[in-house]
Amino acid sequence: MTLQLVIDAVSDAVVVVDSPGTIEMSNACAARLYGYPDRQLQGKPIRVLFPDDDPAARPIASLLGDARDRGCVETQIWQRRADATRFLTNLVVRSIPEGEGRGARYVLVTRDLTEQRRASDERSQEDTRFRTLVENARDYAIFMLDTTGHVASWNEGAQRIKGYSAREIIGQHFSKFYMVEDSRTGKCERELETAMSEGRFEEEGWRLRKDGTRFWANVVIAPLRDDRGVHIGFSKITRDLTERRAAELDRLSLTRTQEALRLRDEFLSVASHELRTPLVALQLQLESLDMQAATLQPKQASKISRARRNATRLADLITTLLDVSRIAEGRLTLNMREVDLGDLVREVVDRLQESAAAAKNIVVVSGESMLLAVCDPLRIGQVLSNLLANAFKYAAGTPVDVRLGRAGDVAVMTVEDRGPGISEAQLERIFDRFERAASMRNYPGMGLGLYVAREIVVAHGGSTRAHNREGGGTTVEIRLPVVSTLKERTP
Amino acid sequence: MTLAHRVLVVDDDNEIRETMVEILNDEGYEAVGASDGYEALEQLRDPADRWCLVLLDLMMPNMDGRTFRAEQLQDPTIAPIPVVIVSAMNDVAATAEELKVAAHMTKPIPLRELIQVVRQFCAGN
Repeated sequence: MTLQLVIDAVSDAVVVVDSPGTIEMSNACAARLYGYPDRQLQGKPIRVLFPDDDPAARPIASLLGDARDRGCVETQIWQRRADATRFLTNLVVRSIPEGEGRGARYVLVTRDLTEQRRASDERSQEDTRFRTLVENARDYAIFMLDTTGHVASWNEGAQRIKGYSAREIIGQHFSKFYMVEDSRTGKCERELETAMSEGRFEEEGWRLRKDGTRFWANVVIAPLRDDRGVHIGFSKITRDLTERRAAELDRLSLTRTQEALRLRDEFLSVASHELRTPLVALQLQLESLDMQAATLQPKQASKISRARRNATRLADLITTLLDVSRIAEGRLTLNMREVDLGDLVREVVDRLQESAAAAKNIVVVSGESMLLAVCDPLRIGQVLSNLLANAFKYAAGTPVDVRLGRAGDVAVMTVEDRGPGISEAQLERIFDRFERAASMRNYPGMGLGLYVAREIVVAHGGSTRAHNREGGGTTVEIRLPVVSTLKERTP
Repeated sequence: MTLAHRVLVVDDDNEIRETMVEILNDEGYEAVGASDGYEALEQLRDPADRWCLVLLDLMMPNMDGRTFRAEQLQDPTIAPIPVVIVSAMNDVAATAEELKVAAHMTKPIPLRELIQVVRQFCAGN
């Protein structure tokens, strides 16, 4: 009984079995651990405490044999509770030799490892998960440096971003990742010092890949310490921000370009307004003088007339600039009304007779004589006069055909010249701002006439098109929505 | 000489205003300049019955053409004096309609057109 009291005081499960393997004695802890009522273990075969369906496990009889031979064995082994559940244990079997009239006996001391195992399992699972996470991170180079800055670990991301395999780089100093001038001036050491003194170093800057190309990196370095606080190295996390930086620079440059365009359009608007004001006064004075031409010497009258024509040219140029700035700022307004396009064409052609004569062009008008459309007559007149001015400029001395036709609900106005024509590549672009088919040197002008014309036509819901005429020359075609012809309206 | 024979040229640009005044004087009209809406109102009221026409610019400092026209219509003594808008803005037609003016012209103004309009409203010397 004294022995029973002694073993009951032990906090591990203690079971004493006889030589054939029958339990002679067990302690309170054993009853609790195995889930048997007090003292119920006595008399049961020891094998009830071990699973019998695990072929990989050593049978307890074999362990007892070992203990008999060696005196004591210790092993980790799965054991079985009364409810058949299993639990992992540390088992010590000590043999008590025969003597005092008794056969050999064995003392089995069992410690439950369930809790310990769970904790260790969790830790190792966590370690595994974490290691997997770090190793597989592709967008981040995550690695360790030793205390002097030599690479101690490497991950997938590091290989991807920097181009070195783990085998190539582990053990190398991390200055390999720095631009030559940076590593030469001690930047790497300073970064480690900052990480040590401030607990962290972070920056964005250029770094080198294995192939010598540079990339824009975000770098974070932090010191690593073990459980006791001893400095064991550094963690270094590097991200490749090259693409993001390029995108940011693109955005920035786009913003700057847009701002520059806005400023240009604003300047164009202000400048053309400012230029026009004194010109209005000048034109009035010249016109006033011109009206008195009859009272002047012929030579004076001719000089005044010439001055006036040039003032008008200047005014037209400024008006074009104003129009361009209006278009750019979306301020092109139309005063729409019902207009006979036939009248409009004749008016414009009449008005330009002087310029046509100067360029030795003959303008031939043909097609519909009456065609009603809702439009801004001043603006559509401007379109036609821009097209004619182009024809006079590029096809001087040849006939120019102006035709007004109708295709369904669309009025088709064409201006056809017999000039040099336009290359196919340029046909697409001649309606763009500042585009011109001919070289700047041979033909003066701002390259805005067709652009303004197209914008006006488009604002009317119409379209413009240019193509080369068979036998030389260019045809520009304007299509405008139409209401009806006058003929149809007359009963 | 008729009682109402004066033309008021309202424009903030000195050169344009003085040129118009000079040309109209050459053409035999009595033209006077005002550089903004305030000056124009002051001139018209002193006294009101001598004016045959106001040539009105729209964009001016201090008091613009639009405000001038509103003030003019508020004052029965000067409200009947006809106004013609002379503006550099190209969409002046809508504004002209809104301000109920007699006519409108876009700068640069052809001189013959200007003289024709003035002749329509005023008797010359």
